[in-house]
Amino acid sequence: MARGRLQAVARNLGCYALLAPTFLMLAVFCFVPFVWAFTTSFYAYEIGGESAFVGLANYGEYLGDPTFLSSFTNLLFLTLFSVFVNVVFPFGVAKLIFSLSSERARYAYRIIFLVPIVVPGVAVLMIWGGLIYGDNGLVNEVLRLVGLGAWTRGWLSAPDTVLWAVACIGFPFAGGINILIYYAGLSSIPESVHEAAQLDGASGLRKFFAIDVPLVLSQIKLLVILTVIGVIQGFQGMFILTRGGPGFASMVPGLWMYFNAFSFQRMGYACAIGVVLFLIILVLTVLNLKYFRSAEDVQAAT
Amino acid sequence: MIKAKHILLVVILAVSAWALWPPRAGDDAVIRLGARRPGAEAEAARRPYHIRMAPGLYLPGTMPGNVGKPLAGLLDVAEKFEELYPDTYVEFVGTPAVREWLVTQLAAGLAPDILNVNVEDVWQDVQKGWYVPLDAYLDRPSPFAKPGEPGSKQWWDVFKYQAITRGKAAPDGKSYCISYDMVETGIFYNKDILERLGLGLPKDWVEFLAMQKRLAEAGYVPLLVELGPMSDWGVDLIFDQLYAPILDGIDLVKDPVREPYLQGYLDWDEICFLYRKGFFTRKDPRWVELWRILKAWRQYWNRDISTADMMRLFVTQRGAMYWSASWTVQQLARDPDIPFRWGVFYLPPIPASYSPYADGHDMCVIGGSAMQYVVTNTAFSDTGDPATSERLKRAVAFLQFLTVPENADRVINEVLSMLPNVKGVEPHPELQPFDDFLKRPYTTTKWSFTFDMRFNEILVRMLDLYLNDGIAEDDYLAWTERNLRFAVETTVRRKKVDFDALQRTWDALAPARRHMKGLPDGAR
Repeated sequence: MARGRLQAVARNLGCYALLAPTFLMLAVFCFVPFVWAFTTSFYAYEIGGESAFVGLANYGEYLGDPTFLSSFTNLLFLTLFSVFVNVVFPFGVAKLIFSLSSERARYAYRIIFLVPIVVPGVAVLMIWGGLIYGDNGLVNEVLRLVGLGAWTRGWLSAPDTVLWAVACIGFPFAGGINILIYYAGLSSIPESVHEAAQLDGASGLRKFFAIDVPLVLSQIKLLVILTVIGVIQGFQGMFILTRGGPGFASMVPGLWMYFNAFSFQRMGYACAIGVVLFLIILVLTVLNLKYFRSAEDVQAAT
Repeated sequence: MIKAKHILLVVILAVSAWALWPPRAGDDAVIRLGARRPGAEAEAARRPYHIRMAPGLYLPGTMPGNVGKPLAGLLDVAEKFEELYPDTYVEFVGTPAVREWLVTQLAAGLAPDILNVNVEDVWQDVQKGWYVPLDAYLDRPSPFAKPGEPGSKQWWDVFKYQAITRGKAAPDGKSYCISYDMVETGIFYNKDILERLGLGLPKDWVEFLAMQKRLAEAGYVPLLVELGPMSDWGVDLIFDQLYAPILDGIDLVKDPVREPYLQGYLDWDEICFLYRKGFFTRKDPRWVELWRILKAWRQYWNRDISTADMMRLFVTQRGAMYWSASWTVQQLARDPDIPFRWGVFYLPPIPASYSPYADGHDMCVIGGSAMQYVVTNTAFSDTGDPATSERLKRAVAFLQFLTVPENADRVINEVLSMLPNVKGVEPHPELQPFDDFLKRPYTTTKWSFTFDMRFNEILVRMLDLYLNDGIAEDDYLAWTERNLRFAVETTVRRKKVDFDALQRTWDALAPARRHMKGLPDGAR
């Protein structure tokens, strides 16, 4: 048996050789840092200083960290909001484009909605920051112009609006690759299904909810996973626009991890936060894969 | 077959490429940030010693305040230095103004050889060997000082503001930086607006608040100020107003080297000790008063203190006053489009009639050294040993060369922002008020730099929330107390504070505290 396996390896040596660099890079840049971070989370380690084993102390401290509760509450809000807008809005736009009768128009709209992804993310954030800038931002100036000066505020500096201001980055949430993913899903629905539904008297919204939605569940599932991972890992919006403030009103665990690692030099503690985030993403992904039905599941069930 | 649309596409591409083509090198208007003049960089590879310097404000190619020509003073000085040291090449680099960058570069041994950094930041990490103490060089003559001139006996002597420069010694007694120039804060005000409203300059805090009230009623933002400076300068100034009257009873360490400038300065070991005695907690009425005074003042500032562009609000005359520093002079004095007359005054004292813990003494200063040049571990990376490193000698020699009066004049006075800290170099007349401010005593402590970055981060965040009505006073005070407790515990663990020695001094100062009012319970 072992000899057979060896022979198989020898036969495919070329393929293994071609794959080896990829695995090597993955190991160096993904797996080794992960193991290092996991190990470091058990140490009190300051950059440039000495490290001391502290066991689970970093995890214990994080549970009592002043940002713990508020940052996870913020994260929950941002995740739910992002999942909603990233699933709903692009789906609506993709459906509208797909419904156009002209192939040329469909192509043009796909390009138009895709073009914004070439704008660097930081530029998008800066533009958004300029729009809602406290004193003379576009939003406030427009409000003043239409006589609603009392509604103006420092959207990013007021504790009660900052989270909404950050959540709305990317408004109107209709650009980018999500539309293409949905469009591909809608394109894969056989025309005969729509025709059959039409013969049965279904039309408009009924057709959308009874046929389109169940048959693009695979795409929805993919986008939910990607969005959840993106929101939990990402903190660039808060970092650039608010640095998690005012106070900790827009703090998220990823940003606090960054501050601890590179500002406060508490690398062990930052690693502990990173491990906690990894575990949360792992659990959510598993739950999503296990309990969220895909289009194939739906088709199999029906 | 080539179609018309293909030709059109090629034309569009060609025109775009032409429009985006970089301007020709050598033009003064397009000096690349930090770049040496054409031809100089080509020689760099041939020279064995390559010194990198992050000069902060004086980075060649930049235009401070967005007025005037790109800076080139340091390029001239570097070229003269390289004539004396043909084996050395000096490169100027811009660096991000974030500590994250500095820490990672220093840990990797990749930081510039010489860089500008607030030396209090350096004090946090001296035990890691990232910085080179400069005492041995400062105590010896500068090789560039002519006989009989300042610096010919010891390098120390070239510095004009001796007390401030020597006061930058770290708590371990060593000097890790040279103070190349001086900066101070001040309230810039619009003379036209004040005259129109019949307002004079305030003599004390009560008048200062009344003046701001009048400005607000007239539709102006009375005072433009950013959160960062307020959490640094504002907190320290008010703190000094309230705690200086009791310094005789709580200043536990008298450092003969630093005392001439840092009179009664409270270092982290003293703060740790005093915290354990109940100071800087809710039991300390001065501590509570400090935040109340700031909160009462808040109503007169611009609404958005985190992201607003203060300079824009000031030059467009929406704000009547702007709390900034001498670096603002460059733009106000040299921008021909500023449509109003302006002046600068210093914050007035808080009288006893306003706060029972104040005694009306003059506001202290919180500026002092501006460009604080430190030498990093990169400078001795050629041998790994500062004692034998030739590269380090050249890095220090370049710093010494920078302090030659004609060189300092060329570099510092190219910008109308800072006061030269080199004897024989006079500041621009527009900066004279700041020279006068600097004659005042220095602050009692600098909270932003006393403890680690975590402490400062939380302090700024919660102050932001408190000032913007995002948190109640009791909750805010609880936050500051928790923050300080964590910082004290960390400092005690890292620095091994000698509490026994502090306790002995504390006991000796008991008679001085006997009649002091407003001390925390049990701290008499």
